[in-house]
Amino acid sequence: MTNRYVTGVVAAGLFLLVLGSRVAAHHSFAVYDHTQTFTVTGTVTRFQWTNPHGFLELDYRAADGSMKHYTIELTSINMLTRAGWTSRSVKPGDEIRAMVAPLLNGEPGGLLMELSFTDGRKLESPVPAPGTFKRTPEQELK
Amino acid sequence: MMMAANRVTTGVVATALACATALTAIVNAQTRPRSTPPNITGAWERIGPGALSTAQATGPRLPAATPPPLKPQFLKEWQARQQAAREATAKGQPFGINWVNCLPDGMPGMMSGPFPMEVLQTPGQVTIIQESFTQVRRILLDRPQKGIDEIDPTFYGHSVGKWEGDTLVVDTIGIKEPVQYQNVPHSDQMRIKERIHLVQGDVLWDEIAVEDPVTLEKPWTVTFAYRRMPDYTLLEYICEDNREYIDDQGRQRIRLQSPSQK
Repeated sequence: MTNRYVTGVVAAGLFLLVLGSRVAAHHSFAVYDHTQTFTVTGTVTRFQWTNPHGFLELDYRAADGSMKHYTIELTSINMLTRAGWTSRSVKPGDEIRAMVAPLLNGEPGGLLMELSFTDGRKLESPVPAPGTFKRTPEQELK
Repeated sequence: MMMAANRVTTGVVATALACATALTAIVNAQTRPRSTPPNITGAWERIGPGALSTAQATGPRLPAATPPPLKPQFLKEWQARQQAAREATAKGQPFGINWVNCLPDGMPGMMSGPFPMEVLQTPGQVTIIQESFTQVRRILLDRPQKGIDEIDPTFYGHSVGKWEGDTLVVDTIGIKEPVQYQNVPHSDQMRIKERIHLVQGDVLWDEIAVEDPVTLEKPWTVTFAYRRMPDYTLLEYICEDNREYIDDQGRQRIRLQSPSQK
């Protein structure tokens, strides 16, 4: 009886975990590294206010001195709106510092964790289940 | 004589009482307004386990979510698929699902959120709009349900409902087979029964029972709770510029450039 109860509780718990993870991943963010973040500093070239997700693109100076391009995925703009963002929150030419979870496949793209501007303004990214991403902000993108 | 008089008196009193009761019933039926359905018009957001919102869950404790009671031949396949999906996600190569192609949930998935929804009560109809993918379902009130073979399958099916006291009781049929909640397979015989009611002033429950004589051993029950959002107006949601796609391996991928930039 007790065993059956415990098994039931464990099964229900596992099911909830699966359910929870599915809900958190509206459009899945599993393509991004959940074990580390990189910080990238550069100039915004494009701020795309669209669904299913918004995007931010920037140019930054790499360690070898060359200019590189980087694409940052945001959440749904509906979630951004509820988190206080607007379509005017970022503009091309803005100098930004972004903390991102990088793409696992090594391509130059990442998922935004948080964004700061040279004037000190900060914007949190309303990523679902943010606690599942380990933040290592000291790592600069080379 | 006395006894006879008493019997007569008792009979008269009983008849009078019976008449009075009948009269009261008739008068009540004619003058007492039919019970008014509760006002559930407005914006709502799912709360509780599995909700995207971080809003504090209130109201009674939800029944625990249970796996679908699929018949053995369907259960095995479903479990294997769920396991494969978990492994693919853990490897960073998630399976491409309908959302990746900007296809909406349909029923009953749209009732799971993830974004706020709006309920509109108008004469003869309750309309529910889910913000994500701008999903709309129409519940036709006090109409007979059609036969399953009279309906062309759709994402939201054909819903009829009626107020039973404070509960909106809804019956839905005609859901397209590829429209699946939690990847649970169903046949064209699937029927979704819902009991939508307030559990307290600002907390709404949708108790859902999915029936399918082909795939399920017994009804699969799921309950969602929602909190009222008095100051919220639903936002537009159009899949306008989708950089996500499903590759030939069935995996979700992302383009670093917008399709419109090319």
